[in-house]
Amino acid sequence: MKLLWLSALSCNGNVHSFFNYEKIDSFLKSFTFIYHPAIESDYTLQDIVKKDIPCDILLLEGTLQEGLQKAGVDIEDLIFRYGNKVKKIITVGTCASFGGIFLDSEEKYGLHYRKKEPHDKFISLKEKTINIPGCPIHPQTLASILYSIKKEFEIPLDPYQRPKEFFAFTTHNGCLRNEYFEYKVDNHQFGNIEGCMFYEHGCQGPFTNSSCNKILWNEVSSKTRSGHPCLGCTEPTFPKYNFFETKKHMGIPAHLPLGVPKRAYLSLAGVAKTFKIERFEKKLI
Amino acid sequence: MQDRKTQKKEQIIKASLELFAKKGFYTTTIPDIAKSIQMSVGNMYNYFKSKDILAKEVIKYISSFLGSELQKINEKDITSEEKIKEIVSVYFKTAVEKPEMIDYFLRVFLSNRETFKNGCEGMVCVNEFVTEIMIFFEEGVKKGELKDQDFFSAFGLFMGYLGGMVFLNGENILPTKLDDYIDDISTNIYNALKVE
Amino acid sequence: MIRSELIEKIEGEATLDYHFKNKAIEHVDIKFLSSRHIENILKGKSPLDALVINPRVCGICGHAHLIATVEALEGCYENLEISQKAKKLRELTLNFELIQNHFKWFYLVLLPLFGQKQNIYKATHPSKLMGQAIATIAGQYPHNSYAIPGGITNEVLQQDIIKIEQYIDETIAFYQNHLVDADMENFIDCESVSKVLSKNGDLIDILKTIKQNKWTKLGRSYDRFIVFGQNSYFKAGRGVATRVNHNLNTKYITETNNTDSLAKNVKFKKYYYEVGPLARAMINKTALVKDSHRKYRDSIFSRILARTCEIPQLLIHSKKILNSIDIHEPSFIEPSVPISEISGKATSCVEAARGSLIHKIHIENNTIIEYNIITPTQWNLSNGTKKDSGVAQKAMVGLKDIEVAQKVFKSFDVCSVCTTH
Repeated sequence: MKLLWLSALSCNGNVHSFFNYEKIDSFLKSFTFIYHPAIESDYTLQDIVKKDIPCDILLLEGTLQEGLQKAGVDIEDLIFRYGNKVKKIITVGTCASFGGIFLDSEEKYGLHYRKKEPHDKFISLKEKTINIPGCPIHPQTLASILYSIKKEFEIPLDPYQRPKEFFAFTTHNGCLRNEYFEYKVDNHQFGNIEGCMFYEHGCQGPFTNSSCNKILWNEVSSKTRSGHPCLGCTEPTFPKYNFFETKKHMGIPAHLPLGVPKRAYLSLAGVAKTFKIERFEKKLI
Repeated sequence: MQDRKTQKKEQIIKASLELFAKKGFYTTTIPDIAKSIQMSVGNMYNYFKSKDILAKEVIKYISSFLGSELQKINEKDITSEEKIKEIVSVYFKTAVEKPEMIDYFLRVFLSNRETFKNGCEGMVCVNEFVTEIMIFFEEGVKKGELKDQDFFSAFGLFMGYLGGMVFLNGENILPTKLDDYIDDISTNIYNALKVE
Repeated sequence: MIRSELIEKIEGEATLDYHFKNKAIEHVDIKFLSSRHIENILKGKSPLDALVINPRVCGICGHAHLIATVEALEGCYENLEISQKAKKLRELTLNFELIQNHFKWFYLVLLPLFGQKQNIYKATHPSKLMGQAIATIAGQYPHNSYAIPGGITNEVLQQDIIKIEQYIDETIAFYQNHLVDADMENFIDCESVSKVLSKNGDLIDILKTIKQNKWTKLGRSYDRFIVFGQNSYFKAGRGVATRVNHNLNTKYITETNNTDSLAKNVKFKKYYYEVGPLARAMINKTALVKDSHRKYRDSIFSRILARTCEIPQLLIHSKKILNSIDIHEPSFIEPSVPISEISGKATSCVEAARGSLIHKIHIENNTIIEYNIITPTQWNLSNGTKKDSGVAQKAMVGLKDIEVAQKVFKSFDVCSVCTTH
């Protein structure tokens, strides 16, 4: 299958994240890039923008901007030219999906969304688009979706067009600190394997759709496993800023776990907080 | 529709409350309560195995009652200032119409930690009521109407104030009826909690 | 005559306008045409948010930006204490990023310049190992923010130390198997280029090709080097050829705008300097690179050698650091005053893969007032005038062939996204 990887305003984090894909060598035997920001191909960027090279999937990375050009050609033209011909379009990363961290003005946007708001600029291409957000993307997610397209599997998508198999979970699923969350132990200190970061340190894990603690990063770890709060980077609202602190209204977290009604959460929290469970108050090792 | 067992339980609880208020918590016995509703003592023990267990169920009942009143107020599309007045009104109304309830809370629950320490630790048994207060505060801060502050500071102010007024009323110290204080109390609470 | 060329695959693109006179390059204009304006995005944000924003300046050297950010934030305190454990782990993760960058540069960027095909496996396999080593400490790579004022977020246990050592050993073995077939402890102390050329390996092949094609004079510039990021391995200093001076003050750095490019030029006391592995080796007086410099000055030969042999130097040094860590020290010491109550200005310098990276921050009342970033590629690729060329520009003057000029240009290991940030 032929892939075109086109970068808009990007840091190239997705390119380098994808290089960490476990099975990249066998991947490159099943897929060819007609253009990629780092991998050589038969075509230069000039060839891609000036001619119409046959291509099956368009991978778009980076925030889009009015008037942005690639090798002298408007990127919007390129997106339509290739987008109209390919089987599928994948927005690689949160910037291309929702605008991401570089969205700082009216003239910048993701392919079909500006944060949570859908827009019509590329409406004719919306149906064939799969959004794979993440800052950066998880390499396994991108590879799996590409293989799924190749094998013509059905790919169920959530309302933000993210593949459900990867985004139906939350960062909270599989976090090693779950017990501290369950029993509302809220005295987390950085530098410790104990404690939950949801109460004080801004962890967005319970309401962020991702598979970070299910698949793990670099096959070994995750942000929350290394004492670092989830930043919610797969969500349209990324970046929310004030990352390392939990916004609270009179002591109550402003954002509650996904789908959990306030009354339910507070009732459970009230009961849990009454009890002090010794094991959770001590160092584990 | 509540099932029969729940209805019976509620009947027992209500009767207990009345007797506790009239005779006092410690002097009231299970047989006393059973007699007042014409139930056999043996049957009573089917519903509540001991007086301690009954005591805890009573507080949960009160919490649930007040909680559902507060939930109705919380769900109204009105300002925090208006909600405060409604909360104060409901609390005072309950104190006047069902004095045995607030009485039980102030004079039995708060004062008899021994009875409640196992099974009603902390706020476990008043959970429903406290949850509604939390929701009231949280939404008030979110809407920018109430000042963001420590939950317990605000909670203590609100509840301590209301409890204090009801206590004074119960001792017949207040010169006029409790309802006459609704406006001033609500204003004072709102002034203390609002965004500056 | 002016010929315009689009240079690709340099973490973005750049346009080079070659000015030819009498069939030789007289001057090259280096233009970077897109920017994300991160310095503007930072303004008005809370200080700790810089730890999340700055790694996203770049996907291949973002970790250097993280370390520079946390050191700038810590610099705003009078005397902030961090444990040796945190300090060492930060140095390790930064070293690992440099190493993965150099492998990728060699096998993805350099090989095609010498008529060879890229080797994706050799580029990505050791990079993956280094990514795993970083992730063991920092949670994930790329893009983590595990270094915060006061230390690091991860406790790091003994089993982590063991795993990291294994990743380092595997990477050393990989280097030996593919790049230079020699005992690595001997190689890093080697003083003779000829001895190295007698070995086998992918690096040797490239160096021999340079010699065979008589390109050993190619890519020479001012022979002026500067290093700002002092740590347990790199020394700060500046030098012309082998004359080194360790007195450096960042206040003498000046940045100027370009009319046709979104990248800014940068000088130290009115001069353009080269940054990067060659500069670091010259300031450190690394024996092998000194030998190369004796014969081939600051040509592509020395530049390529310096970058590639930085890999085993850093790997072996990292093992020493790793084994000196006292795991029982705290990873994080809570600052007695939170950063939200600190006002101040600070400058931090770290050695990123391509050279010195400088961050300047000004915070007040829990807000970033001003943030300035100067990246290594800005130094090397400053777009000076014909009379006062930047380092890479000078290196291309006199060349007759654009293809050859590209070899020189890419020998500096260019990062387009960093340059305009």
